[in-house]
Amino acid sequence: MKLFHEQLLAEIVDERRRMSRRGVLTGSLKLAGGAAVALSLAAIPGTQSIRHVVAAQEMTSDLDVLNYALTLEHLEYSFYRDGIGLFTFGNDSRGQSIDTNFAAIRDHEGAHVETLTSVITELGGEPVAEATYDFGDAYTDPMAFIATAAALENTGVSAYDGAGQYISDPELLTAAGSIVAVEARHASYLNLLTGVLPFPAAFETPLTMDEVLEIAGPFIVS
Amino acid sequence: MQDPMMLETPVDVLNYALTLEHLEHAFYRDGLQEFSADDFETAGYAGNVYEWFGIIRDHEMEHVNVITQVINDLGGEPVAEATYDFGYTDLAGFIGVAQVLENTGVSAYQGAAQFLIDEDELLTAALTIHGVEARHAAYLNGLQGESPFPDAVNPTLTPDEVLAAAGPFIIS
Repeated sequence: MKLFHEQLLAEIVDERRRMSRRGVLTGSLKLAGGAAVALSLAAIPGTQSIRHVVAAQEMTSDLDVLNYALTLEHLEYSFYRDGIGLFTFGNDSRGQSIDTNFAAIRDHEGAHVETLTSVITELGGEPVAEATYDFGDAYTDPMAFIATAAALENTGVSAYDGAGQYISDPELLTAAGSIVAVEARHASYLNLLTGVLPFPAAFETPLTMDEVLEIAGPFIVS
Repeated sequence: MQDPMMLETPVDVLNYALTLEHLEHAFYRDGLQEFSADDFETAGYAGNVYEWFGIIRDHEMEHVNVITQVINDLGGEPVAEATYDFGYTDLAGFIGVAQVLENTGVSAYQGAAQFLIDEDELLTAALTIHGVEARHAAYLNGLQGESPFPDAVNPTLTPDEVLAAAGPFIIS
């Protein structure tokens, strides 16, 4: 049997091919917010198959949750690693260097990838590898870069919040909490850069794995 | 030495969270009575800072209301608001305390979450509050000229550590 996350990734890649053939992917990626991307993708019947595989296989172990988290951290880390340096953003409204702050965010995501990888290995699991990604116009348009970063971070918070309940080891739960707080801090800052309220609601919106994959899936090529 | 504080039941955890949310809500409610939009502007803060402090206050009030409701639903007795002294004497001091409260709040939820590990719905609800406290904390750090996200891994505080930090604000 294929590993849980391998099957998910394969499903995402198939889905992406179907969507890009229909020419809808480019259009949906131009939308700034993660929620808008999710909405537009939810309208596409083809995403049903991702829902199907997720419904069929719930996260049943801490390793599943950790690999799910690692899938998202790989996505985030590679986004910043490959994109930072393409633009110079200057200072934010408080006079802080946006470029320095982006570098800090990249380093955080790198640390999350390393930590999750080593924990999965220590638990006897097989850490999911980095995939190949396509971030659309985020690497050619600086505003799209910031908007994509904001979408990734806000989605990351919702993903951890939705997955926390599947963790059974108290120490892992605390560790996940200490990561999601940092994602929320990133999201707050990136919202500020995009002109969105840093804290748009009194409560975060937890997302299920299928909802998260609808948003993140289109970025994953293979 | 005292034994570490144990949060044994869901109501214990929720009342711990409510203790902190009361503290935060009272802090913003009273502080925003004391300082006006003009005070913020005179001190050099951008026009939306006062308004956004009001939004943070409203979030804390919603947290108080929701947690109180859940404790009632579980048949527990929600802790009441206490009397506080936050020790600030001017707007800069007020904003400095806000930063401390929010950063401590994030670490507090993180330390308490493990006590809800068998309560899926309550755990998820607590996480959705935790994230918002982190957003507040990042914003306030930035306002104070500090990094919004100083660490790759947010520090976790035990209930004892949190109560030692928050205790001096609580008069009775």
